[in-house]
Amino acid sequence: MPAERRFGMDHEHYDWSPFNKRGILRWPDNARVALCVIVDLDHPEWDPPADSFTTPFAGGLAARGFPDYARLSHREYGHRVGIFRVLDTLRKHGIPATVAMDAMTAENYPYLVRHCLDAGAEIIGHGVSLSRMITSKMSEGEEREYISQSVSALTRATGNAPAGWLGPEYGESARTPQLLSEAGIGYVCDWVNDEQPYPLHSPHGEMFTLPVMWELDDVSALWDRRVVIGRYQQLLEESFETLYEDGQQNGRLMALNLHPWLIGQPFRIGYLDRALGRMMRRGGVWAATGSEIIDWFQRNPPTA
Amino acid sequence: MPLPPNRVDYSPIIDRPTIKWPNDARVALWIAPNVEHYEYEPEFDGNRDPWPRTPYPDVQGYAYRDYGNRVGFWRMTDVLDKYNIRCCVSLNMAVLEHFPEIGEAMVQRNYDFMSHGIYNTRYLNTYTEEQEREFYRDTIDTLKRHTGKQLKGMLGPAISGTEHTPDLMAEAGLIYHTDWMHDDQPVPIRVKSGKLVSVPYSIELNDAPLFRQHYEGDYFAEICKAQFDQLYQEGAESGRVMCIALHPYLIGQPHRARYLDDVLGYIMSHDGVWQTTADDIAEYYIANYYDEAVEHAARLNSSE
Repeated sequence: MPAERRFGMDHEHYDWSPFNKRGILRWPDNARVALCVIVDLDHPEWDPPADSFTTPFAGGLAARGFPDYARLSHREYGHRVGIFRVLDTLRKHGIPATVAMDAMTAENYPYLVRHCLDAGAEIIGHGVSLSRMITSKMSEGEEREYISQSVSALTRATGNAPAGWLGPEYGESARTPQLLSEAGIGYVCDWVNDEQPYPLHSPHGEMFTLPVMWELDDVSALWDRRVVIGRYQQLLEESFETLYEDGQQNGRLMALNLHPWLIGQPFRIGYLDRALGRMMRRGGVWAATGSEIIDWFQRNPPTA
Repeated sequence: MPLPPNRVDYSPIIDRPTIKWPNDARVALWIAPNVEHYEYEPEFDGNRDPWPRTPYPDVQGYAYRDYGNRVGFWRMTDVLDKYNIRCCVSLNMAVLEHFPEIGEAMVQRNYDFMSHGIYNTRYLNTYTEEQEREFYRDTIDTLKRHTGKQLKGMLGPAISGTEHTPDLMAEAGLIYHTDWMHDDQPVPIRVKSGKLVSVPYSIELNDAPLFRQHYEGDYFAEICKAQFDQLYQEGAESGRVMCIALHPYLIGQPHRARYLDDVLGYIMSHDGVWQTTADDIAEYYIANYYDEAVEHAARLNSSE
């Protein structure tokens, strides 16, 4: 619906909140920056249903028409090889992973589910497959069913209902946050618009955003914008330095979203390793999972 | 992958039988120049347009690639010869008929050859099973006639294929398929008869996708070295494969060839590099590891 020309947001999900009018957010031990690393494990389908929607997702190669062995197997690299490099790198620096896992991965890769849980990762909802984004083309019933399929697949695979959510390709309809909340999800990472968590309105209980830095998403930087890998390392470090400085006054969140098929390639992983190493050498950084960050935020809201 | 097309069993790289390359090499390095011919006035198959920029011919696009055969190939081989590299050429078979001097130069150097189809402007996607069978007979015969070599593998023409491709390749006696970008080691591909493996090719360390973007030779050298460093480190535990994919019309440009020199100088100064071909990697893997890998993956997936 076109916006009405009035104060505030042109939707009901959250309130307008300029940074300079906010209270002070304090992280545990007065950390300046909360660092959250989200790792995506998603599956592109060989032959997706005709009525599914996806963006022309990045996959290393331009689509070459069916059957596309190269393009799909390039993604599969993340599940077979890249994920282990990424999780090893995070562990080396004491950063707990937040793994966004789709239903097809959860149901078909039990080894990976177990490996992520053994590594101490939090597993959050990530839709059904990469080939099926949530969009407003879905009816409310279809969307509810889709979310339920994703949540129950993760619950069966991990033994716990997911607390968080990142839509495939950040996809939402205009009702997604409320439907997620209804399904028991407590936080969502699709809204790339802030450097702190903030509350969402939901009739079904408390609900928050965990905003990702879109420009630092490896697909955005390394694929869409073709930033060279050495420069990407610098972008991570420069972003961190600014947040670290700004976080002295008011705590900041640095949420990275990474894809093992991309950042987990042999020639890329070392640059991530060096960037995270520089960040974690500083005092005053709290590396935490999405749930840890949101739980803290909920119990310790910003104060005037 | 455990999902369609059901060709590959899931097998995480951290939990596999250890691969030992000959002489305890850490990395099997193969160099894959794509020696190609693009038709001046190809036939459009109704699916993929070989020259989408203009009505045929597209002289700029055609001549840019033809430069590779007239000039670039010779500059590229000068660099490769400096390091005694034995390539595995990804070959459009018609090059042997059109440009015999190139065939002779490759035979003289004892290169191996994998099929890259007949022309880079004739794709497999629309082929019937019978047409595709005939295609394999043609590529096998053409290679044998002009080089004396037995064809063992294929990178689909312009990386195209059909759903039957792996089965029909194996039926024709081929043993490897390099359209799969899913791993840093060979991987068994399930086929109806015979044995077929994927040998890791690269769409990332590949001058065609790189140099069509804003990347240049210095970046190519940087990422090739970074890739090698990572695989060399991991290869101390279990052998890895590294492929560098080239196109003479790109890497043979006067401003670029020096960066190939730089990369090969770096890599070839290391001990523990098995400079080899995809033919030899596939044969070695099938002789020593194929059965074990299939059994291991079956066990891993059935215990889940």
